Amino acid sequence: MSAKPSADDTGPRAVTAPAHARLDDIAFDELFRESAADVHAYAISLLGNRAAAEDVTALAFERLYRARARLDHGRGAPRAWLFAIARNAALDELRRRRRQPQSELPEEMADVQGSAEAFERIVRRASVRDALAALPLREREVVLLKFHGQLSNSELARALDVSESNAGTRLHRALTRLREECNGLEREEEIA
Amino acid sequence: MKVIPFPGGGAERPDEAWLTELEAALDGTAEGPRADSWRELREDVRALTPPMSPEFERELGERIAERSARSAVGQSRDPQQPYRPREQHHPRQPRRRFGWLRPTPSTLAAATVAFIVIAAVLIVAPWRPAGHTVEGSDRSSSVSARADRLGPAFGPVERAQVAGASAAKTSSSGVASGASASAVAAANAPAASGPVAAPGRVQQLGASISLTTTPGEVQATADRVSQLAVSEGGFTQSSHVNTGQDTGEANLTLSLPSAKLSAALASLEALAPVRAESQTLQDITNTYDAAQQRLNDVTAERQALLRALAKASTEGEIDSLRERLAQSRGAIAQAHTALRAVSQQASTSEVEVTVVGDKRAGSEGLTLHRGLHDAGRVLVVTLAILLIAAAILVPLALAIAACAAARRAWRRYRRERVLDAR
Repeated sequence: MSAKPSADDTGPRAVTAPAHARLDDIAFDELFRESAADVHAYAISLLGNRAAAEDVTALAFERLYRARARLDHGRGAPRAWLFAIARNAALDELRRRRRQPQSELPEEMADVQGSAEAFERIVRRASVRDALAALPLREREVVLLKFHGQLSNSELARALDVSESNAGTRLHRALTRLREECNGLEREEEIA
Repeated sequence: MKVIPFPGGGAERPDEAWLTELEAALDGTAEGPRADSWRELREDVRALTPPMSPEFERELGERIAERSARSAVGQSRDPQQPYRPREQHHPRQPRRRFGWLRPTPSTLAAATVAFIVIAAVLIVAPWRPAGHTVEGSDRSSSVSARADRLGPAFGPVERAQVAGASAAKTSSSGVASGASASAVAAANAPAASGPVAAPGRVQQLGASISLTTTPGEVQATADRVSQLAVSEGGFTQSSHVNTGQDTGEANLTLSLPSAKLSAALASLEALAPVRAESQTLQDITNTYDAAQQRLNDVTAERQALLRALAKASTEGEIDSLRERLAQSRGAIAQAHTALRAVSQQASTSEVEVTVVGDKRAGSEGLTLHRGLHDAGRVLVVTLAILLIAAAILVPLALAIAACAAARRAWRRYRRERVLDAR
């Protein structure tokens, strides 16, 4: 019998994943190489603080490593578990700090040598950044989990610890609002 | 009433097709401007974050590689080595200086189960020899009660006898010269379980025990039984020993002080394996009371005759009274004898001992029947232990599960509240 690790610390309750998935040391190394940057990106986007994001990233991998023997590999992909752990750790970090996430997202994107296409991308990403910042935290984290974690809808539901239908609703609402915010900001830019 | 909307509950339910389209677009399986726009949005969001610092990435990677190496050589069981990228980045996180002392949940669970099982074993396991040892206080109290029941009218000799006196001297008037101190000690000796005497009653105890030994050991065992009777303050009333080539049997009838019956039985059980044992108790209170009453009556009659004799004036009257007084003396002696006999019944116990010679006795411990009996006993004890352990563990597990669920719900609530507070 494979024990289910605590959903609080080590991941979603059940995530559909290949039954052959197995988190041995090699797979763990591979998961680290594939996912460390994404987990870090998710954490820093949510927390807005590099040190805190690194803490959360390290903590997520640590908890996953310690719980790897107890993971029900038939019920969840390791990456989904990892992001669920990271989400819990990030929320704990937010609760511990009791303050608004700082914004360490760069104001300026990388220099793209002034081409029109690059300039357009800078403007668009600035709109996305502002729109994302304008979202309520609950909606923002859904977007971040979806895009950084690249989780399927069911995996997202497990990570959020809600039903799949509810997760779909949240995602729909968050992305719709993000779109609206982006469109509104772009219109303001055009008017200006 | 304040209505708190459930997150997402107020929104429109997304069309299944919308979710499918989104999934297909992000997976790269869908084409078209809408799919491109979703992918572009995702890339834009992902591009907003600064990259991981190379130093952190390298350090974390090294820690993971180190873990993997330890695991490969079987040293990975070090759960208190967290991945800490840089010490200066997390001064707020308390270090677990004594973390290695913290028991893991599995250790705690194992310790709890072990403790409960040990406790159950201590409760259930029959540490005492099978079946015959109980505290001697009950027995001594009942014997004392019987002695008290005899009452002061009879005198200390009979009381001491009933209490288990091994020796007492009687005078012609039936008054004791002293009770043996050993009687009290014997009464306080550990007693075997058996019929429980009722307080205030005069009761006669008896027992029979059947011992098994090899045919060649029948005579020796019978001799030891006789010696044991003497050593316990009793004697062998009768003995009949019959030995043969392949069989043998001895029948002995012992007379033992009632107060030492339990100790004697325990000693007999130690001589040879017990095949059967029984104890009997007969209430002789009525017989005793009748004898006592008879003694009182004849004594009173004698007193009346003596008073009449003192007042007699004629020769014929005096002769008649003297003749009746002589008869009265005989009646008193008879009453004393009867009362002593009843007391003797109460103070001594008759034990019938049968020693059976059996060729199989030497290997009795290896017989199938014995093995099955022992196996059954082990199973019963094991089941009892499991039952007791389950009776403790099941409620404990339920309570722990309830606490864990409550804790999980509380933690989830606090996390979700963080999202709502911002």
